[in-house]
Amino acid sequence: MAGEIFNPNPIVFSPTKVSGRNSDLLAQSLWINDSDESEDEAEGIDAIDQDEIFDLIRSIYDPEHPNTLEELRVVSAPQVSVGNNHVTVEFTPTVPHCGMSTLIGLSIRVRLLRSLPNRFKVDIYVKPGSHQSEHAVNKQLNDKERVAAALENPVLLDTVEQCLVNAGLRGQAPPV
Amino acid sequence: MESTERLVRTWMALGRDEEVVETVSEISQGGVSLVDIVKALGEYLTSEDDELRRKGVEFLSKVLAQCPVGKLNRQSARVLTAFYCGKLDDIETIIPALKGLVILVRLPSFTSLDATTVIQSLFCHVKMKALVQSVRFTVYTIVDTLMAHHRDALLALGKDFINGYINLAEGEKDPRNLVVAFAIARVILIEFDISEHVESMFNIIFCYFPITFRPPPNDPYGISTDDLRLALRGCLNANPAFGPLAIPVFLEKLTAGSRTTKRDTLQALASCLPVYGSALARSTARKLWNAFKLEIFQPTDAETEVEALKTTQVLVNTIYAEQENSLESDEDIQGLARDACEECIQILREPEKSQAKPATRILCAFITTTPSVSRYTLSQAVPHLVKLFLNPDEILSRPAILVLLSDFIVAARDSFTRGSVMDNSEPLLLPYKDEVLGVFLVGLKNSSSRIQALEGLSGLIGTPRLLSDEEVGFVVHNINEVMAEDDSADASDSILDLLSSISAISPRRVEEQTLPLLFSSLPDTSPPRDAAVERAKYFRVLSALNKLCAQPELFETLVVRLTTKLDLICVPTLEENLEVDLEPAAAYAHALLKTITSTLFTKVHQGHPDVAKYVDRLLPRVYNLFIYSALAHNPKAIIATDPRLVKVAGELITLVTQSLPQQKQESYVACVFDAFLNGNIKAVSEGHQKVPINAKLCPFENSAPTSQKNLVNLFAAAVIPLHKEVKLPVPELGQFLDMMLNWSLVHSENELQRESIWHLIASIVNKRVDDIADFLNDKLNVFWSIEIANAERSTEARRFAISAWIWMTKALLVRSHASASAFTDKLFECFGDANITWDVAKAIGEVASGDSVLTKYNHAVIRILYAQKYVNAVLPRIVTGAKNASNEKEQTASLVALTALIKSIPKAAYAYEMSSLIPLLIRGLDLPDNNIRSNVIDTFLTTAEGDSPDKSLVAEHASTLVHSMVKNCVVVEMPSTRVRIAALRYLGILPRIVRYDILHPYKSTVLRELSKVLDDPKRSVRKEAVDARTAWFKYNG
Repeated sequence: MAGEIFNPNPIVFSPTKVSGRNSDLLAQSLWINDSDESEDEAEGIDAIDQDEIFDLIRSIYDPEHPNTLEELRVVSAPQVSVGNNHVTVEFTPTVPHCGMSTLIGLSIRVRLLRSLPNRFKVDIYVKPGSHQSEHAVNKQLNDKERVAAALENPVLLDTVEQCLVNAGLRGQAPPV
Repeated sequence: MESTERLVRTWMALGRDEEVVETVSEISQGGVSLVDIVKALGEYLTSEDDELRRKGVEFLSKVLAQCPVGKLNRQSARVLTAFYCGKLDDIETIIPALKGLVILVRLPSFTSLDATTVIQSLFCHVKMKALVQSVRFTVYTIVDTLMAHHRDALLALGKDFINGYINLAEGEKDPRNLVVAFAIARVILIEFDISEHVESMFNIIFCYFPITFRPPPNDPYGISTDDLRLALRGCLNANPAFGPLAIPVFLEKLTAGSRTTKRDTLQALASCLPVYGSALARSTARKLWNAFKLEIFQPTDAETEVEALKTTQVLVNTIYAEQENSLESDEDIQGLARDACEECIQILREPEKSQAKPATRILCAFITTTPSVSRYTLSQAVPHLVKLFLNPDEILSRPAILVLLSDFIVAARDSFTRGSVMDNSEPLLLPYKDEVLGVFLVGLKNSSSRIQALEGLSGLIGTPRLLSDEEVGFVVHNINEVMAEDDSADASDSILDLLSSISAISPRRVEEQTLPLLFSSLPDTSPPRDAAVERAKYFRVLSALNKLCAQPELFETLVVRLTTKLDLICVPTLEENLEVDLEPAAAYAHALLKTITSTLFTKVHQGHPDVAKYVDRLLPRVYNLFIYSALAHNPKAIIATDPRLVKVAGELITLVTQSLPQQKQESYVACVFDAFLNGNIKAVSEGHQKVPINAKLCPFENSAPTSQKNLVNLFAAAVIPLHKEVKLPVPELGQFLDMMLNWSLVHSENELQRESIWHLIASIVNKRVDDIADFLNDKLNVFWSIEIANAERSTEARRFAISAWIWMTKALLVRSHASASAFTDKLFECFGDANITWDVAKAIGEVASGDSVLTKYNHAVIRILYAQKYVNAVLPRIVTGAKNASNEKEQTASLVALTALIKSIPKAAYAYEMSSLIPLLIRGLDLPDNNIRSNVIDTFLTTAEGDSPDKSLVAEHASTLVHSMVKNCVVVEMPSTRVRIAALRYLGILPRIVRYDILHPYKSTVLRELSKVLDDPKRSVRKEAVDARTAWFKYNG
């Protein structure tokens, strides 16, 4: 990345919990070492929930650092909410003057665009009060035309792809 | 002589190889000498015609090349040398002359005097820039050969040689030549006095740094970038005089270069700095450090960072290694190490920030340098972090501080175990032990910093001679307290890892302190069905016990405690413990039994000798409990009749029995037979449960209740692992097997019973095949036609018979027995039988699949490569059948057989046939059977490993595969989750293994179809859909 680095030395948090969801404990079988195959074939619908969406975005890299958005607490599970065909993601830039906020938001937007069924409407916001040009960033991120135009720009798209390169890890450690 | 002249004339006219060969043979026979040939060539060699001169010299060189070494004496070598040197100044003859020289210089008769002549003429006449690569290569080869055989002569030339060589080698560009040139240069730099030529040598070598050459595709010369890089590095670090000139070049390349250049530069520096010496390292330390620092704090990639750290270590070592002994105390460390340390400690004032990580990595790198620097570094870093941890303002950063501190502990441990552990010195950490231990124990108590603290503690425990036994006990005590807390679940894996590494050092501590705690936290009654938290807790305790109790003393305690608990759960003594819902209790008992079994399994695989003794301590109690439960008609005692529990008990019995020596097996199995066939249970069953006197164990009687019949599993379990020499206590083995087989087909009631008996039959057939020829003949000639190839039987009965057949066939197949093929042939015969065609087809594959019965642990007779032999025998037949469109039924059956076979054999057994199998497998994807489909896709997934776009096996079928996978991953068309997941995985791999130009037409279709799968009802399917879709989004040529 050419140019100014907005936050050269951000705080890195230890990951809170490995990927998994609270409901799993209750769904656990009575029997030890039960194969999960039978469960897989079982009927029933798993709804798309907060944890699943957080899993999709937690391993996106920060454009400035070799850290994930989860490690920098830019995103967290409680900042994701899922309604009926409606998803809201809130994220927290590491510093209020962070010029990368739009890029972070765009990466989240692209990831969800590719990974969620299109019945969902996705809104992405900067956490209120965490950024000096909050309004502008929010407007940019939720304007369909502007997002589409940004993705037409090959350099920008390439930067976004770089941020998404390990997004599939979903909070797991990268392979050595 | 005349014939020689004739040959020369013919050659000059025609230029054929025959004349060369003939001349050589004349020389070999002693008829002519090489000098004669020169004379015969006379007129041509001095001819005015350029072409004639060239051909003349060429002929001589060609003859020389094939001439036997013995025919060239010192005299002729000298004459020829002089001759060739004379031809070097002629532009027409230089090429053949060099070819001649390259042969001459290798000869034993070639002298140092000749060497001087040659090298001087080379320097004088050869203009490298005018020659093509191959000729220049000849020149380098000549110099290289002279360097190898006549170095003294070259050394004697001194300056002249170096000057000459510099002129010769300057401006060389071809990688093939450079590899030789670098080798020559390295010798010059090391052995010659270059003091007056440092700069010119520097110029002709450093101009190549860094190597940017990349071999062309299908490189015909076989020279890699690394070959060149390493050859050049051998020159860069060959002479300390390069130092002052080289450092600025390296620094420039490091700041301006690409990733590979950076890495190359760092590696080159690491190899050069020790050669260039400590004085230079000291004077340039600041500049170097600033450059390295940048690569560590703002790394371009992880690999470069690692290289930068290594090079920093080399720098520190180079500077401080020699003053090591003169240092009075570690405080005397001055210069780079001190400055860099202070710089990093400054950064560590904010341990939670991202820069703290690289700063720690630098300091940890310092720990593996000279002893005084490592002591100094630790004395700066560790107290600093401890102080920070204890500062109440920094409570929020505690996890981060512990992470960094753990890094130091681990680095100090590794440095100590690698270096000074042998010489009885103290661990580096000894001075800080108390405070560090204290800090970690505080961190352990807090759930937010627990995992980080465990990491540090395991570093401390792993350092030899650091903690005293009391201190280890104190650590265990603290861990126990944490384990008792409810919120320790997240850290339980780390806790167990630490405890098991402690039990390797001090098992007593774990046995006395931890185990009682774990045992007492196991409930006496099972938690009710909805108590998921309690259940998760006992799962956790049991898995902890499983992990900790493999050692003999600990295992003994485990067996005593868990069997007692098992009796209590399965046969409750108090009336009120009789629960309505018995399944949770059965599941708890199952978990207890499973824990013993899986710990036994670990022990068996680690070869522990104490397993055998449990035949007397554990098996009687197990038999007692299960026989009692089946016989007692006690409504309180029906928990242990659950088939799932019986199955685990069987596994346990097999594990213990397989460890017994042959004699012991024989006497034991006699008791087991007596119990199960005659009802005399005394010898095998002994324990707390009093089996009623009037109840008799008779599982093989037709009227026996299900609970008794299930016990045949415990009978088979003791027979499966017998050595092949063990005699079974039956009058006639074949008759016994017939009785078992009949029982399994007629009287058995469920899968557990049937399979137990089939396993028993398979095991006996495998080991005793020579004693049961009649039994096997009867099966082939009678049993098959009555029980299987008999349309009057019910389909269900025929299916059972086929399963029994599969097990008998397996038993023969694994030992590659001659009659195995007769058994498999029978299966093919029924391909046309509509009712069982799929069953026999699948059986073709199942007979080759691995299982847990016929294993070497169970002393089965197994020949190597049996699966390969089987595949070679049946695969051609299946493939022919699958291609034969005239018989549709058999064609389908062959396809089914193929998919089943491929699923059950290792990839290596069919890989060579893969290209012809793929079209058939693709047809298998259309079969209306989800299991087959997922097997086929799994096979494709296995094949995809090691496949690449350059030579993909599936490229030509890409279109069919894409469409089939897309169809199989959509929930409305494919109800099976397993198939959908497999299809998505394969769809996600395709872009990696098929060339872009073939696959890209499907990109938009796939992306569109996958967007529907993103809404699959199953979370696991959605995850695969997201990953597959991402792979296709990234697919851009």
